Amino acid sequence: MSHRHDHYEVESSRRLSLGPRFFLAVAAVVCVVTFGEVARGDGQPAASAAGQSDKESALLEFFEKDVRPLLLRHCYECHSGGDVDGGLNLDSKVGVANGGDSGVAVVAGEPDKSLLIEAVRYQNRDLQMPPKGRMSDTEIAILEKWVRLGVPDSRTEAQPGAVRPTGMSIEEGRDFWSFRPVADPTVPDVQKADWVQTPIDAFVLARLEERKTRPAERADKRTLLRRVTFDLIGLPPTPEEIAAFLADESTDAFEKVVERLLESPQYGVRWGRHWLDVARYADSNGLDENLAFGNAWRYRDYVVDSFNDDKPFDRFLIEQLAGDLVPGANRETKTATGFLVLGAKVLAEPDKEKLFMDTIDEQLDTVGKAFLGMTIGCVRCHDHKFDPLKQTDYYALAAIFKSTSTFGDTQTGVIKHWHEYSFATEEELAELKKVDAELAKLNSAASSFKSKATAKLRDDAREKAALYLMAAADFSPDASLTEVAAIAEPLKLHPRILHHCRLHLQYHADDPVFAKWHEFRNAAGVTSDEAAKQIEAHYRLLFEKVEAALAEARQKDAKATKLDDKILEAARAALHDPSGFLAVPPKPEFAFDETTLAEYYRLMEEARLAESNAPDEPSVMGVADGTVLSSLPIHIRGSHRNFGEPVKREFPEVMRTSTVRPVLPKNQSGRLELARWMASTQHPLTARVFVNRVWRWHFGTGIVSSTENFGRLGDRPSHPKLLDWLARRFMESGWSTKELHRLILSSSVYQMSSSNPDETIAEADPENRLLWKFGLQRLEAEQIRDSILAVSGRLNPELGGKTIPLRNRQFVFNHTSVDHTKYDSLRRSLYLPVIRNNVYSLFSQFDFPDPTMPTGSRNATVVAPQALLMMNSGLVMDSADHLASLLMRETLDTSRRVEIAYERAFGRLPSESESKRSLAFISELTSAALTDAASVDAKAEQNAWSMFCQSLFASNEFIYLR
Amino acid sequence: MAEITTSKNAAAVEETLLPQRRRLLKSAAVGFGHLAFGALLAQDAGAAETSVVAVDGPVAPKQPHLPARAKRIVFLFMKGGPSHVDTFDPKPLLDRDSGKPLPFDLPRVTFAKQGNLLRSPWKFKQHGESGLPVSALFPNVAKHVDDLCILRSVHGTNPAHGGALLKLHTGSDQFVRPSMGSWLVYGLGTENQNLPAFVTICPTLAHGGVNNWGSAFLPAHCQGTPIGNASLASSAAQVKHIRNSRLSSRQQRKQLDLIAAMNRDHLKIAGSDQALEGRLSSFELAFRMQSTMPEAQDLSEETDATQKQYGIDDPVTQDFGRQCLLARRFLERGVRFVQVTHSDSEVQWDQHGNLYQGHTKNASEVDKPIAGFLQDLKDRDLLKDTLVLWGGEFGRTPTAQGTNGRDHNPHGFTMWMAGGGTKGGYAYGATDEYGYYAAENKMHVHDLHATILHLLGLDHERLTYRYAGRDFRLTDVAGHVAKDIMT
Repeated sequence: MSHRHDHYEVESSRRLSLGPRFFLAVAAVVCVVTFGEVARGDGQPAASAAGQSDKESALLEFFEKDVRPLLLRHCYECHSGGDVDGGLNLDSKVGVANGGDSGVAVVAGEPDKSLLIEAVRYQNRDLQMPPKGRMSDTEIAILEKWVRLGVPDSRTEAQPGAVRPTGMSIEEGRDFWSFRPVADPTVPDVQKADWVQTPIDAFVLARLEERKTRPAERADKRTLLRRVTFDLIGLPPTPEEIAAFLADESTDAFEKVVERLLESPQYGVRWGRHWLDVARYADSNGLDENLAFGNAWRYRDYVVDSFNDDKPFDRFLIEQLAGDLVPGANRETKTATGFLVLGAKVLAEPDKEKLFMDTIDEQLDTVGKAFLGMTIGCVRCHDHKFDPLKQTDYYALAAIFKSTSTFGDTQTGVIKHWHEYSFATEEELAELKKVDAELAKLNSAASSFKSKATAKLRDDAREKAALYLMAAADFSPDASLTEVAAIAEPLKLHPRILHHCRLHLQYHADDPVFAKWHEFRNAAGVTSDEAAKQIEAHYRLLFEKVEAALAEARQKDAKATKLDDKILEAARAALHDPSGFLAVPPKPEFAFDETTLAEYYRLMEEARLAESNAPDEPSVMGVADGTVLSSLPIHIRGSHRNFGEPVKREFPEVMRTSTVRPVLPKNQSGRLELARWMASTQHPLTARVFVNRVWRWHFGTGIVSSTENFGRLGDRPSHPKLLDWLARRFMESGWSTKELHRLILSSSVYQMSSSNPDETIAEADPENRLLWKFGLQRLEAEQIRDSILAVSGRLNPELGGKTIPLRNRQFVFNHTSVDHTKYDSLRRSLYLPVIRNNVYSLFSQFDFPDPTMPTGSRNATVVAPQALLMMNSGLVMDSADHLASLLMRETLDTSRRVEIAYERAFGRLPSESESKRSLAFISELTSAALTDAASVDAKAEQNAWSMFCQSLFASNEFIYLR
Repeated sequence: MAEITTSKNAAAVEETLLPQRRRLLKSAAVGFGHLAFGALLAQDAGAAETSVVAVDGPVAPKQPHLPARAKRIVFLFMKGGPSHVDTFDPKPLLDRDSGKPLPFDLPRVTFAKQGNLLRSPWKFKQHGESGLPVSALFPNVAKHVDDLCILRSVHGTNPAHGGALLKLHTGSDQFVRPSMGSWLVYGLGTENQNLPAFVTICPTLAHGGVNNWGSAFLPAHCQGTPIGNASLASSAAQVKHIRNSRLSSRQQRKQLDLIAAMNRDHLKIAGSDQALEGRLSSFELAFRMQSTMPEAQDLSEETDATQKQYGIDDPVTQDFGRQCLLARRFLERGVRFVQVTHSDSEVQWDQHGNLYQGHTKNASEVDKPIAGFLQDLKDRDLLKDTLVLWGGEFGRTPTAQGTNGRDHNPHGFTMWMAGGGTKGGYAYGATDEYGYYAAENKMHVHDLHATILHLLGLDHERLTYRYAGRDFRLTDVAGHVAKDIMT
């Protein structure tokens, strides 16, 4: 405080000393104001009026002496130098004139119209500067005066950063590789022409030959089969499939395998999952309030079916963005728009306008990354710092999404619900009403049980009020509950109530009701026993009087709750205050005895289970058109409280393929037009981004390795011509994903071995960007789990349907943090619930992507908890047991068992030394178990086999694909 | 492969290696505990249990940008939002004007409907040489007031639990971003390769859940390792899969030897690969963790006096006391970031109603354990370089909700720090006269983050990670370091 006083005094004396010049300054105002926008010009106007030099120098002196130190002290920390906050530079004249992201900072002569003044006045809660605290009134007055006087400024030096950095211009952008039209490159000539099975090979080989190296040899048949089977259906090949492929010596044996796999419904499970990564699919909202997305599975099934049916990708895109608007829109196409609803949202956000804009931002970010490889989300607050995307582009798109409804009309408490389309019949709705009533009944049974039990405790405590006060005199406030319990129990008092009672007496030492308590307790020359007796007697009498007076009052007026006598009324109020000295702990575990608690839990669990198992209304998550806006203002720095110029609905300028602008319907959001434009064969990005994704999913690295970013900060394509060639073939095939697979899988590039004897290329290109070998790939989380289940014969291959064990919109977790989600299903991992905020531990450990943002390239980290999981988890150990039993059932020949295990797990037979090592391990552990155990363990041999099988699952060969 | 170095020129090397390292971490991070592979192969696998091996992985201790005042941090998180005007920020005018309307504007958005001003049910008293006031809710913590650096002007942006928790833990209430613990591990590595670098004890799974200790796009080794969760007693809290229920340690050792032999054969076919090699050592680390983790959690090693000091002998304080004692054991073993959470299956610190009873219960559960913890850190000379942070996701309104509760208040609230190079017996910043808005030396959550990083030797503007084409920071584009609070 004293610090502030000092300031004040300094400022006052300075103002006084300025006095004589004050007239000059005021006189100057007139002149400056006539020159209007001083702050925007070149800084000369104040001097342009001849004969004003005296006044001018007075103004500049005022700036030097008063304004400049103030700017330095309060503003420069954030508003000077290269990278300034809010884009506002206050360390130079030009900076002040340019203003910041929120627009013009000062209007010369008009303090009330200047944002800078508004900010320092601290009256607008959304714009307060300096952020650390308000300046003194005197300081604010100086700045007001400065503006009023026309913003005189003596600074002439140009400061770095005064000119704001901008990203690429639209013209530069049109020349950037990813915005150029998709080319039709000619297939290059190569020397080693016999290696070329498809044009893909020529594009890759040409680059390798430039580097004077050669591709790796063709992989052997077992490796190739394992690779392509995991790749297309996410599972290892069975011994039968291996035998068939080895036996097939025809030239198209591999093509036949590819066709078989593409026909398998498990193909959709694997490739649908790839798309779900991009769609940030989840079965719960996550973020702030974790409600179950009980109908998200319908979108999941839609995606799996779309891949299995080879739905053309352009159609797939249009349905997901505008399935509700396409001609002949139906349940399937509306389900597709779940794509836009699946994002994580701050559902309890009290500021609804913020919630809507944040949701639109999430949608634009997802759409941009998923389909266009663009980080559109970056443009919410400012023009893109690197890419040719402007804020006008963002708000032109945002206008389309602002015209779209993502939220429904209902909510759970403060938690807003997302929009869904219902397909329920009248009968179903009537049936659901009954179900809801039944659930409400169960819930109220639990809560009314709780309140009755609490009321009973309260009544009991009130009857013993005097005893509580007596017992409380026996210990100090910092006594432990154990000590308190020892006092409470003989008196049949509730230890926690007594404990609280003592604290209450401490906190309310000056409450007149308890004055006697303190008096008796603290009286000198009185034993504690005597004091206790006095307290008990006093309060018993007092409370009896209260009850009697209350009874009397109620005879006069049955509804009477208060007493006229002040002292008695105070005692009555204390006695009946549910949070007073006899407060019952609100936490049931603390309040209730075991039997009561068990019954309460039982009722709660009954209600919860009934809700979890209750049928959902048949409906799908999806967007609909809302109030159509033809334009949306730019939100300055992304704030929904600070608006700039309105922008009409449009598509990003740099990607436009025609100067003729589309006409967007007045009565529709424009999403359909946007989707069609994105899915057009002229769009520079859509096909490129998708074929690159497919390439990434086959090879482990994309031609552009940053699958979500085709902008300046993204990676450049390793083979740009190949990328364009693929994009073109893809569109020619009618956007057929399966055709694209056939094209890629039939290439020599895909069929290479994962090692190449040429060590110089390994050194020159350690990341294998030139594709001189097939890169080693770690299996993804789902592949690991599914193959463990498949190899041990436990996998349930069933497709589709709801699998999350929660009702739609039920809380996944409320504040209790009890995790009710189970992952013990034996179905394919695609069908395990994806719970945001608490992803299944096997998934999260093995780099399952964050289900809140589009991911085209999963990581493959190695961390110790993965090893713990392979060593100790029930899933792995149970599966090992199963495989061991299966081996032991199959044959008595132990070498044969090892062979079967190796072939199931690795797709190959063990070498002689491997077989020997395995058998040695099994016999050692069997006999060790027998010697260790006190009695003969009949399961010792089975356990040893199980440990062996677990070792196979844990080994590198099992989870790394060559 | 050239890796991160711990030499004195680390910063310079770091600069040059950064892009390469980022790529490596992104695609194939090997942690926690990426052990030198050669050293591992050289030793007899059977004796690996006791071996100490040179560390050169991403979790190796790293040179900070700046001289570090604190080496490690513990966050005592009070879930639900403890009221500042009832604990560490006394407001005489609130007492005087109780029942009258707030004499200035409410925020544009409030979580619930606000009533008139509500005085605190607790009295404040001055404590220690500093004479800083603490309410009757914290009689034991008050004894340490001369070690506390009370931040009275913290403010955030989000008035709902979920958003506020995420903002406080990750700096963002709109997107999933790495938590502050993950950033610290990314920036500083860890000093014990046999334990996770970032541990969170009994965290809440609600309101952001895993995202509050997740690493988001940072490498996996930066994520927090949860021990139990808020629905479990801290005595039952365990790291997932830390124990094998079926195999003896000897059997498992044999099994790991078999796996290692298989993996070495596989290397010959698959060729040398960092991930494959890292995976070999990850099994050894996991095996060691199976003994180091239970050892760290074994409180029976502590004397009765120590257990009593933390309140473990009392049913009221035992749960949180155990968390605090676990925290000390992790801290002294070199864990970089430890969070303990005081939550509850029913009310937490979220007293929309019945402030008096709820806060009484909550404070009585944490007061003694926190005081015991501070004392213990001092006795062990750990407080000087351990930063202790206390607080909730927001404070509460000086105005009433209903008759006797307080609503969420992110506009001005109190957190406190102790140790780790902060000024003791010092109050920084202030709220207005009623405690509604931060008013002096305002400290936004971003500023808090910048300050924490600074205390640990990291420059929040230089601690960046390139992801999806952008450099990310814990403090986004904001954050100012409050140098005034440092010694």
